[in-house]
Amino acid sequence: MNLDEELRSALRREHPSPRFAERVVARAQASRAPKPAMPRFIWAVAIAAMLVIGFTSTYEYRQMKAERASRDAVIALRIASEKLNLARDKALRREN
Amino acid sequence: MAWIAACAAAQLPAQLLQLRITGLDGLASKASESVDITLDSNLLRMAGGFLAGTGNDAKDGKDASDIKGLIAGLKAITVRSYQFKETGQYRKEDLEPIRAQLRTPGWNKIISSQSKDETSEIYTRIEKGKVVGFAIIAAEPKELTVVAIEGSIDLNDLSKLKALGVPSIPVPDKKGKQQ
Repeated sequence: MNLDEELRSALRREHPSPRFAERVVARAQASRAPKPAMPRFIWAVAIAAMLVIGFTSTYEYRQMKAERASRDAVIALRIASEKLNLARDKALRREN
Repeated sequence: MAWIAACAAAQLPAQLLQLRITGLDGLASKASESVDITLDSNLLRMAGGFLAGTGNDAKDGKDASDIKGLIAGLKAITVRSYQFKETGQYRKEDLEPIRAQLRTPGWNKIISSQSKDETSEIYTRIEKGKVVGFAIIAAEPKELTVVAIEGSIDLNDLSKLKALGVPSIPVPDKKGKQQ
């Protein structure tokens, strides 16, 4: 057997074994790594949690500030009312 | 440029008429009890909103709404009140910077009661028939109170406030420094 024949024999077209294509497709599908779904989900949850915490903190801070302001306003108006009435009483007493 | 100058000139009278309580800062350290409250329009708006949400029963709801009604027209409240254990902790001259502002045009002294060692003065600023500024100076031997209120306020409603009692929100007694 000369070299030409050896090469021709080695490179000759061969038909694949039965169900070769199916096995290739099946192996390719099996070896494909599943995309990690968890990180995206975790990110979404973390962002949502941060938003909720942020909004809640802001709301609570504003509520605290409003409560304190309303207390101060009531005290201030009560003092103003008390002093106004005292001044009126004194002025009235002086007139009488 | 001229437009900015015109706007500034238009704002000037209002700024000049705003009463600033100055010259009393050093008294807090001498006082046994002090109240120091400064509320601007933003805080008053927040307070009004908070009071609107308080009081579920009819009486509390009315109290809160009465106070909210008083606050509604206000732009600023400033209160400085000091109680001393001994007399002579403040001087009459300490009040001069405030009195000087109250002598400017726009302010009117409506009540003045002076005895040997007590002074009560009520001032108002009226614009278009409405009270838009209100100030009290109450000086006693062991107590000094100055109140300045900016904005529309009905003095009759204010004088009735004491009779309303404490509104639905818990209000601490006048103890310790506020704010």
